[in-house]
Amino acid sequence: MKSNYVVYIATAIAIISIISAVYVYAHYEGQNADLHSTVSVLQSDIVNLQSELYKYRNLTLVDDYGYVLNLTSYPDRIVSLAPSNTEILFAIGADDKVVGVTDYCNYPYNFSAWIEAGNLTSVGEYWTPNIEAIVALEPDLIFAAFAQEEVVNTLRGMGYKVFVLAPDNIDDILKNIILAGRATNKDIEAALLVNNLRLRIDAVVNKVADAPSKPKVYYEIWYDPLWSVGSESWEHELIEKAGGINIFADQTIDYFMPNSEAIIECNPDVIIFPLGHGVGQPFWISFDQVKARPGWEAISAVQNDRLCTIDADIVSRSGPRIVDALETLAELVHPELF
Amino acid sequence: MSAKGVETTYSERVSRWKLMVIILAVALILTIVLSLNVGFAQIPFPTVLKILAKRIPFLGNLVDSSNVSYVEETIIIQIRMPRILAGALVGVALAAAGVVYQGIFKNPMADPYVLGVSAGAAVGASLAIVLGIGFTLLSLSTVPISAFAGSLLAVFIVYNISRVGSRVPVTTLLLSGLAVSIFLSAIVAVLQVIAGERLHIIVFWLMGGFSYVEWKDVWAVLPLICLGTAVIYFYARDLNILALGEETAQHLGVDIEKVKKLLLVFGSLVTASAVSISGLIAFIGLVIPHITRIMIGPDHRILLPTSMIAGALFLVICDAVARVIVSPVELPVGVITALSGGPFFIYLLRKKKESYAI
Repeated sequence: MKSNYVVYIATAIAIISIISAVYVYAHYEGQNADLHSTVSVLQSDIVNLQSELYKYRNLTLVDDYGYVLNLTSYPDRIVSLAPSNTEILFAIGADDKVVGVTDYCNYPYNFSAWIEAGNLTSVGEYWTPNIEAIVALEPDLIFAAFAQEEVVNTLRGMGYKVFVLAPDNIDDILKNIILAGRATNKDIEAALLVNNLRLRIDAVVNKVADAPSKPKVYYEIWYDPLWSVGSESWEHELIEKAGGINIFADQTIDYFMPNSEAIIECNPDVIIFPLGHGVGQPFWISFDQVKARPGWEAISAVQNDRLCTIDADIVSRSGPRIVDALETLAELVHPELF
Repeated sequence: MSAKGVETTYSERVSRWKLMVIILAVALILTIVLSLNVGFAQIPFPTVLKILAKRIPFLGNLVDSSNVSYVEETIIIQIRMPRILAGALVGVALAAAGVVYQGIFKNPMADPYVLGVSAGAAVGASLAIVLGIGFTLLSLSTVPISAFAGSLLAVFIVYNISRVGSRVPVTTLLLSGLAVSIFLSAIVAVLQVIAGERLHIIVFWLMGGFSYVEWKDVWAVLPLICLGTAVIYFYARDLNILALGEETAQHLGVDIEKVKKLLLVFGSLVTASAVSISGLIAFIGLVIPHITRIMIGPDHRILLPTSMIAGALFLVICDAVARVIVSPVELPVGVITALSGGPFFIYLLRKKKESYAI
């Protein structure tokens, strides 16, 4: 009984300290080195307290597909089934718990070197991860992502704890970072990260709010066949937040195949090509080829030479670097403001 | 030749057939046990045997399984066992259906998919994937169930298009199967276009494979495939008579329309069951019957059982190869079946040289 009271008091202290730490950190970051180090010391105390507290209760989390996950202890062996999950886990400092990643995971470190050195295991590629490889790692928590229902169902059927991070928009990505923090006992790191990301998003949104005009943006995911983004994709959300207008905003779908004529008719001011997904080389081959596409000489972006590339990884991964993507897009859409 | 002579020849043949079936069955069981040892995780073969022996009543208590880890047991029992058995079942089903369709249509191009089973299953599965339906029925997920329903619906449509009164002319059946397949494939193409980020799931389903097969999938199709193949085997003699031509069969007292319908129904049933858990695996149903026919002759009483076991054997081996050839990535098993079986089939055809008919 007595130890329970200690726990309750400790909880109260911990919660108050977290709030004040986040507040202090958010407002004085970088301005006062002494304060900063004090906060760091405070943080590590809280982290210790927190893990003590955790032993006394169970944790219930709900994932993006509505699955309710009960955790009775913090995970020690995490498998990430997507690059976005890996980036989130490393950004919140859960890196020492990650034992398995996919072949596509390449950030924040060159994981293939780690895998070759035997410090980390690959569970195969994203679309069809190797279930034996996952099970052999004896994971106590697995983070899955989009379009992995089949492997998720099989793993859950075998009794493994699987949490799916499949966000619809940037807010969901931030929420998922918090959830990943909860699940891995990195609440504070996650809260600080999300706070920082929010500040950066607000900074971009405020900056582009002053822009005199909103350029029309065509975002090309693939050529032959043409693929672009509709209003259900987060590329759309990024373009709009970066102060542009997605020319296919009226398409209520995530990704789709537009008609070349429709693009010419919409007359985009900027055309953006993501570089790096699927293949290393640009799928559009060269900007000269783009300009030579039949009828495209009529497009304003072609006439004004506003064809740009962006790193596909930062745009297409639902992790913390989505804010890097937003900042880069804002610079591409509104070069006059940066 | 005297009547007695014929009888002896026949009983000799039967005993040779029995031997052949036994040899193939033993080979299949050995292959299944050996392929349990094949996969990403390196599990020593003695451990695999211990895990298996532990499950055998009485004998299990004698096995010292103290050094078998929980993970090893999970991988063998929960992952490899169901997928290997699913491979065997699908091989049995597709080969049996292949023999039946080639027999009924008297057409070497016929395979289990001629009546639109594959296209129907593809529409059902793609629809479930695109709509992202999450519900489960009898604890099975939506994709296999809608694939199963789609394939049976397609066969039902094909059958009714070609029905003339109570007769079902095989040429019409073949052509309407083709037409419905083309139509349904176009629907799959439309679904792929609007699938967006879920396109990949459809593509992988269409390639077929056993990567995520669970025990419950095996239990769901096992009774259907057993029942279907048993009925088909029961009519093996009638398939022989059908091969003489429908008119001759009629004269010999076979109710060909009834036999044809029964065989079509159960052939479709086993194919639909197989496709629902494995996706579309090409080649097995087309070529395994031909290979066994070249090797042992056209009598359906032996062709059916040997084709079924050979189909299972071939698919289990192909799946084992698919698991490890570019590990940890898995190749779709349909790729392996076509890559390895194609050249072998061509070799047999060339070696046979003399003209070859069903």
